[in-house]
Amino acid sequence: MGIEGLTTGQIDLASPGVEWGDQRDLLQLRSGQVTELVGDPGSGLTRMGLGQLAPFSRSHTVVVVDSRGLISPEAAWETGVVSERMVVVRCGSPHLWPKVASALLEGVQAMYIEVPAGIKERELRRLGAIARARRVAVAMRPMGGRLPAGVAFVRLRVLGVTWEGADRGHGKLTRRRLVVEASGKGASGATRRFEVEDEGKGPLRLVPDVVTGQAGRLVS
Amino acid sequence: MWSLGRPDVSSADSVLVVDERVTGATDDVLEAGVRLGMPRREAEVLAPFARVLIRDLGEETRRFEKVVLTVEDLVPRVEVVSPGLLFVPVAGAVRYYGGEEKLATTIDGVLTKLDSEPPQFVGIADGPFAARWAAAVAKPGHPNIVDDTLGFLSRLDLETLRESMGGTEMIDTFRWLGISTLGEVTNLPRETLASRFGNQGILAHRLASGEDRALDPRDIPQELSVSMEFEDPLEAMDAVLFAGRNIVERLLARLRSSGVAPHAVEIAATPLTGKPRVRVWRSAEPLTERALYDRVRWQLSAWVETAGVVGGVTALRVSPHDLSGEGRQMGLLSDESSAVETERALVRAQALLGPDAVLQSAPQGGRMPAEKVSWSRWGEEPVSPERDEEAPWPGATPSPAPALVHSKLRPIEIEWDEGLPSRIRLGTRWEPVLTWSGPWRLSGRWWSGEKDADRFQIVTSAGAFLCVVAQGKAFLAGVYD
Repeated sequence: MGIEGLTTGQIDLASPGVEWGDQRDLLQLRSGQVTELVGDPGSGLTRMGLGQLAPFSRSHTVVVVDSRGLISPEAAWETGVVSERMVVVRCGSPHLWPKVASALLEGVQAMYIEVPAGIKERELRRLGAIARARRVAVAMRPMGGRLPAGVAFVRLRVLGVTWEGADRGHGKLTRRRLVVEASGKGASGATRRFEVEDEGKGPLRLVPDVVTGQAGRLVS
Repeated sequence: MWSLGRPDVSSADSVLVVDERVTGATDDVLEAGVRLGMPRREAEVLAPFARVLIRDLGEETRRFEKVVLTVEDLVPRVEVVSPGLLFVPVAGAVRYYGGEEKLATTIDGVLTKLDSEPPQFVGIADGPFAARWAAAVAKPGHPNIVDDTLGFLSRLDLETLRESMGGTEMIDTFRWLGISTLGEVTNLPRETLASRFGNQGILAHRLASGEDRALDPRDIPQELSVSMEFEDPLEAMDAVLFAGRNIVERLLARLRSSGVAPHAVEIAATPLTGKPRVRVWRSAEPLTERALYDRVRWQLSAWVETAGVVGGVTALRVSPHDLSGEGRQMGLLSDESSAVETERALVRAQALLGPDAVLQSAPQGGRMPAEKVSWSRWGEEPVSPERDEEAPWPGATPSPAPALVHSKLRPIEIEWDEGLPSRIRLGTRWEPVLTWSGPWRLSGRWWSGEKDADRFQIVTSAGAFLCVVAQGKAFLAGVYD
C-alpha cells in the first residue's frame, strides 16, 4: 500500500491559530473572485479545479476552457459536476484565447480556465476585472508562469502529492493526498499549508485537523 | 390560477387593486385604459370611478393556502409564484390519474368544491409560461388543455411577455414594426434579436418558441439551508414569526458570504402531530431580505391560522433554490436570464472557435477513459451514446479517472527491467518509476483484428500515468492530473 521513502511534510496536529473551516473556504470558488491554481503537471490541479465547479453545476451551466484539448469530463463527473451542466470549450490559440475567455466571463457563473503560455499580462488583468465585475467564480490554471499580482484572490499551490493503492504491480491507484499552500488576499495575506485528500469519487476533502509544516517537493 | 376575490367588494364594484403599481382590476377599469403594471397614479387618472384597494399579500396568502393544500393533496411538489398562481409538474400525476384531461378535471372539481372562493382557472401546457397563459384563457369549470403548445403560443399577444419578463421598450419596438403575436416573434432570427435587444431578445424568442424552464422544486443546496428545532413546540404566532425571522437572517448571512441570491425558497415546518408542511415560493426577481422574510411570514402565518401545523411547530427549515449571482437581473419565474446570458456567451465562443470547439459530454460505456465519454456539439441534439453505460464492462479502467486523456493513444517510451517498468520518458528527461499497478489485460476484438494489450498505472515523481502496452510498444492513455 504505502510507498516507502516519501514525505508529505511534517504533520502538525495542533498548529495554533489555523482553523479547519478557513482552509475549507479557501478550496471553494466564490462569485467575483479568481482562484489561481499553481503546480506542476500531474499534481492534481485539473481535478481540483474541475471539482470546484461542482457546487455551481447544481444550479447553473459551468464552463471549462481547455487549452490543451485533453480534459476528461469523467474526472469532473467523479468530483460531483453535473454532466448536463458542463460545457467544455477547447481553445489552444493564444491569439483567440483572451477573446473567448472574456466572452465567456460575460455570461457564465463559474469557470475553470487553463491559461496557455504567452498570454499578455494586461489581458489577464482585464479578465480578472471582468470576473470581479460580473461576479463570476473562476479557477485559473496558468500553464506556464503565474498570474500577475492582484488578479487572484487566493493562490493555491500544490507542493507535493502522495498516491496510495499501487504497490509494484499490485492493487490500483485509489487515493492521493495533496499538500497545498494557500496565499494571497483570500488567505488573509498569510501563507497556509494544509492537506487535501482525493478519493476518486466525490469532492476533494480537507484532511481534518491536520496542518502541514514543511512539505516535500513532489512525492508519489 | 385562482382569481382572488375580496369579501369587502361586491361583484358590481369597479375595482383597482394597487401595490405601487396596478396588480388587479375589473373589466370596466381595464376598458378605461388601465393596464396591469401601470403606475398607480396613472391608473387613478384613467379610472377615477374605480374603488382603489391596497393589496395585502399576507391576507391573500392566507386565503390562497386553502387552494394550495387542496391541489397538493392531488399532486405533490406544488410551486407557488404568488397568491393566485401556482404550478405543478404533471408528468407523474397524468399517469396516475389516467390522462391530462382527467387530472385537470379532478383538480378543477375539487377546487370548485371550495365554493366559498371565486372561480379557478386551470391550464395544462408544456412549460410554466404556456401553462400560465393556458389558464388565463380557460373558463371556470373548463380546464384548458393545450395539445399544441407552439401553436398556442404563436397566437398569444405580445403583451403576455410583459408580465413575464418586462421589456417594455422591446415590446413597443415590436409593435412599431407591426409584430403583434409571439408567433411573429419566432419568425425573427434569434441572433438578430440578441444583437438588437440583448438578453431580453433571446429570452423573448425562447419563450415564444416554447423553450421554457422545467419545474424542479427539488434542486436544493442543502449546505445553505438553515433550520431550527424546538423542544417546546411553538404555538403562538409571534413566536413562530420570531423564529422565522431568525432563520431568514442566518440564511441571508450565508447567502451573502457566498455572493448569491435565491430566486426561490422552500419553507418547511414540522408540526407536533401530522405530516411536515413544505412549500416552495418562487420570484422573478432575486429575493431580497425583505422579500424573503415576507414570504416566510406569509407562509407561516397561513399555516398557523389555518391550523396547518397541529400542536405547534417543532422544527423550521428554510432552503434557497435557484441561486444566482447577487444583483443580476433574473427573468421569468426562474433563473432564465442567467441561462440566457450563458447561452449568449457560448454562442460567442462558438462564433470565435467554430462549433466543434464548444462541446457537451455525457457518460457512456467503455473500458478505456477516452471511450467512456460521448461528445456532442453544444446547442445541438446530443449524440446518442454508442455504448450502454449500465452494461457491466468487465476490465474497465478503475476510478479515479485520469483528468487528462488523449483521444488517441500517444506513443511513449518506457524502459523495462526484467519485465517491470523502471523508467518513463517525459519529454526530454527520463523519470524513474516509483511504483506501478498492473498489468491489466485488455482483450481486443479479435474478430476485427484488434490485438490484446496491457494497461499499467505508473507513478513517478512527476505524476501518475495510465499507459497501454501492445505488441511491445508503449502508449500514453491518460494523466492523473
